[in-house]
Amino acid sequence: MKSIGEILIFLALGLLLVKGIDVNLIPPSGLKDYFVEQAVTETGAINLVSSIYLNYRAFDTLGETIVLLLAVSGIIMLFETKR
Amino acid sequence: MKESEIVSTISRKLAPYILLFGLYLISYGHLSPGGGFQGGVVLASGIILLYLSRGIASTGKVFPQEKLVVTEIWMFFLFLLIGLGGLIAGGYFLENFLPLGKAGEVPSAGFIFFLNIIIGLKVGAGITLICFYLLR
Repeated sequence: MKSIGEILIFLALGLLLVKGIDVNLIPPSGLKDYFVEQAVTETGAINLVSSIYLNYRAFDTLGETIVLLLAVSGIIMLFETKR
Repeated sequence: MKESEIVSTISRKLAPYILLFGLYLISYGHLSPGGGFQGGVVLASGIILLYLSRGIASTGKVFPQEKLVVTEIWMFFLFLLIGLGGLIAGGYFLENFLPLGKAGEVPSAGFIFFLNIIIGLKVGAGITLICFYLLR
């Protein structure tokens, strides 16, 4: 009886998600078109993913490296055994 | 537990090619799918394979933990230095200050190539350190 209630809840949530998908929605394409046309000449990288995450959004990548550095520091602090 | 001959042999033969593939992913990151993060994780997976099959003693001789920590920290400072290079060259922080070169060759795309190498080594050292400490 309890599992039937859960199934109904998930069905209702799924129905909401399906209703929320608008098939006629066209995502904005201005920035995408700009990257496809200009990224190779501006950054010199053929791989557009690299040109975005290391040139246009390099500051975001700096933050990701800080996150990894903090994770490694925390794990070393927690699991360091006394010599 | 008794050491398995198959696991030992296969991991020893396979690990150099995994490391080579990781370096390929890093150095061709601006040309083909891949890049610093993915190549770094592949590098780390090669070292972790050696660690799981051969043990901490023999893996620690080739990849000492102190060196990995030093790599992790210095690569972060190199990233900051390259970012400051944009300021010194007269632009903004993390601006490309190196010549772009011809698109499609391996040393091209200015500082993206070097940032890929830095991030690859940093992620490889970091993931390896996390697994060393968590699996010990």
